Amino acid sequence: MAESKPQPIKRTRNWLATLRTIFAKELRSYLLTPFGWVILACTMALQGFWLQAVIQTMSKASGEGVMYYLLNNINFWFYFIFIFPLITMRSMAEEERLGTMEGLLTAPVTTTQIVLGKYFAALLFYIVLWLPLLLYPTMSELGNWYTQLRYGIAPEGIIEYHPADWFGPITILGLSGTFFIALGILCSSLTRSQIIAGIICICFMIMYYFMGRATELWGEFPAAPAFHYLSCSEQISAFSRGLVDTRPAVLYLSMAVFTLALTVRIVDYRRWHR
Amino acid sequence: MSSMVVAEHLHKAFGRFTAVKDASFTIEKGEIVGFLGPNGAGKTTTMKMLTGYLPPTAGTACIAGYDIIDNPLEARRHMGYMPENVPLYEDMRVYEYLEYRARLKGICGKSVRQQIGRAMELCGLEERHRHMISTLSKGYRQRCGLADALLGEPDLLILDEPTNGLDPNQIRQIRELIRSLAEHHTVILSTHILSEVEMICGKVIIIDQGDIKAADTPANLTRGLRAAGRVSIEYKGELEPVVQELEAFAPVKKVIVEGTLPGGWQRLIVRAEPGTDTREKAAAVIAAHGYPMRHIYRHIPSLEDVFVEMTRRD
Repeated sequence: MAESKPQPIKRTRNWLATLRTIFAKELRSYLLTPFGWVILACTMALQGFWLQAVIQTMSKASGEGVMYYLLNNINFWFYFIFIFPLITMRSMAEEERLGTMEGLLTAPVTTTQIVLGKYFAALLFYIVLWLPLLLYPTMSELGNWYTQLRYGIAPEGIIEYHPADWFGPITILGLSGTFFIALGILCSSLTRSQIIAGIICICFMIMYYFMGRATELWGEFPAAPAFHYLSCSEQISAFSRGLVDTRPAVLYLSMAVFTLALTVRIVDYRRWHR
Repeated sequence: MSSMVVAEHLHKAFGRFTAVKDASFTIEKGEIVGFLGPNGAGKTTTMKMLTGYLPPTAGTACIAGYDIIDNPLEARRHMGYMPENVPLYEDMRVYEYLEYRARLKGICGKSVRQQIGRAMELCGLEERHRHMISTLSKGYRQRCGLADALLGEPDLLILDEPTNGLDPNQIRQIRELIRSLAEHHTVILSTHILSEVEMICGKVIIIDQGDIKAADTPANLTRGLRAAGRVSIEYKGELEPVVQELEAFAPVKKVIVEGTLPGGWQRLIVRAEPGTDTREKAAAVIAAHGYPMRHIYRHIPSLEDVFVEMTRRD
């Protein structure tokens, strides 16, 4: 038997310390299991594929930056929609399925800390997914340097990257991510099955995408400005042309806060109505 | 407040099904309490309510003086809980898991390593600390869950079937462990194994169909039992006179003739008032007739008799 040590146990009641513990554990499960790397690899492969397609397009008709062509494309939405359910479908549903939610909720931890810890870990991983984008300017510099070296100066073959091309798109991807990740966490808290959580999330994402395209289908009807306001694809189009706007920031951040608050309520509700 | 657990009129209904009805009990500091009951009796539900995981439909409970509904975080700081079937994160290593749990419980600094070391030593997990939880056997998973509950040296341990799925040696180890924990902790455990409860629990709460049937020490429970004064006799001879003479004796309630055994031996069961001994009288009666007797036995009531008497359906 262990000798009883008289020294008292060091304890903390720091709210953020507990949040950080959950956050670190979640982030660890993204980065130290194959799961996260599969998502990262798929996203990068698709991005690279579309990038080379975009560069071919640009060689024919160039007006906007690379990011504009990369993001304003149905191909982009084809994988963008799936990123969120993939990242988030596990977070709550898996705890529920394994039964570890019970251990979590009987530790001195609040539901808010659990939801926020998982949310910020998923959000950080989502940001990590887009980090390779920042390599593109460097890569194109290398490409230009190689072109000059090999063929002499050939202006039409040189792709110009401006930091501004990057600022807008990264901002809108980050902003919309705050809401979509929260939406994914919400879906994950609805069920104990990852697959069902993922499907619900995809449905919400597709609905949200087509809501933004409603004006294209129905024309400019009286409620059209609301749909323009919500349209993620229009925002991405504007931001990737350098038209940075604060209204989407208000939209997405407030929606994220609302969705997370709803998730906390749902987790508690499911516990009460088991 | 001196009581570790005070449950007041705990009530839990799932839709129309009532899992626990109006359960009130008190558990003092340092007690080892066993929850007994048939499957589906409401043991796990009661324990889950005490942990604050399942909110009661009505009523409340206090853990170490903190109300589980008004002050759940403070109540949880004073308890360690091992759920039934021990859910664990499959993709973590034992040490990592315990470290995560220790930090969740608010342990920090040097105490994290010290507490994990203590819990692993108590549960015999040291040589497995690098193993993935998914590769652990049932027994080691069980120990891992127990080690988790022990982190932070909580005042109250709530263990739902701690010896479920262990081999006899492991059960013995866990039993010794729980007994040694009682010096500093209060322990609530549920189990199906009655002998276990008899061995380690100072108090037993018997629960059936959501009702608390009894809450007392094993000795007090067995005292007032119907089976307590029962004597069984085997002799060779006439039935009638012996039965009549025995039934005339005051504490005897009824004499049951069990039948004739091979070789002409008669088997009788004498039911008497609890706490009386009718062996001497019975032996004298049979000896007076000059019949040979080969067996006389006074039944010592066990917890099993208590359990059967309180939970049988007829």
